[in-house]
Amino acid sequence: MKTSGKGFSALVVFSALLVATFAVAATTTRYIHVRVSSAGTHELVRVNLPLSLAEQVIPAINHGQLRDGKVRIGHLDANNVNVRAILEALKAAPEGEFVNVQDVGNDVRVAKEHGLMVVHVADKENRQNIDVTIPWDVAQALISETSENQLNVEAAVKALENVGDMNLVKVTGQDQNVRVWVDSRSSGE
Amino acid sequence: MIFLAKLGVGVMGTALIGAAALSSEGFIHVKVRESRAGGTRVNLIVPAALVPAALKFVPDHHLAKASKQLRPYLPVIDAAVPALEVCPDGVLVEVIDATDHVRITKEGGSFLVEVNQPDNEVNVSVPLRAAQSSIHEIAEANGFD
Repeated sequence: MKTSGKGFSALVVFSALLVATFAVAATTTRYIHVRVSSAGTHELVRVNLPLSLAEQVIPAINHGQLRDGKVRIGHLDANNVNVRAILEALKAAPEGEFVNVQDVGNDVRVAKEHGLMVVHVADKENRQNIDVTIPWDVAQALISETSENQLNVEAAVKALENVGDMNLVKVTGQDQNVRVWVDSRSSGE
Repeated sequence: MIFLAKLGVGVMGTALIGAAALSSEGFIHVKVRESRAGGTRVNLIVPAALVPAALKFVPDHHLAKASKQLRPYLPVIDAAVPALEVCPDGVLVEVIDATDHVRITKEGGSFLVEVNQPDNEVNVSVPLRAAQSSIHEIAEANGFD
């Protein structure tokens, strides 16, 4: 009887801890951070945007190519690059490397790895490296509920809320470095 | 004597209610410091509720241009302000170069803009709700261009 009483107490404590953990997790604010630094001019730009703020604001913007949370990408179609079609094709493809081009000017690699879409570009002429990592759920959200030449930014931001801390974009160049990432820290670094 | 006491209580009550109404939306704080000798030094604290009220007395035609420019952004402002209010405090934007440092922070229910340059320093703190009501007041002016 005494043992079952202790067991019950332990269960209550465990449940309380579990509820508290979920409560803390539910209230954690996720941030998208942008950091642009220029070595030559000693310039540094830091943007720390709560994803919840972006979620509220993006659908309210009806300006230029961005309307109702969706961005029109007509100009990319004009260059015969249909982002939506590429993402649709990648969705059905198995994990692995899709594109690996190595030439004098650029090395380009596109792959689907561990649920992430990974793009690496090494621009040899400008001595610049570009790494883009997009969680697959975010890539899927980008093409959800859209017409052929649209990307759903609002859905992508919502999907970003559920991904772990990670780098999304990293550009390393001679003059400028750019980093875009998501985490739960308001200060960014 | 009783009449004077009642009058005193009435005046005090009105003053208290007035002060509470004025400070209900917080305060706008502007601080400017020029570092050169004899430079400007301003330290201004204004009840934020005064700004939208004061804007009501500005003739519409003076606000016409600003009104036209602001109107398309009202939905964005109306979406951003409540979202910002519930966000944790922190630095939203920071720009640093060889000489200047600009920082936009959300602190409590206010926006804080800090500009530090070699010659001067400007700090402006504006309550979010007051900024929203002031922008609405300007955008809703129906003057002619």
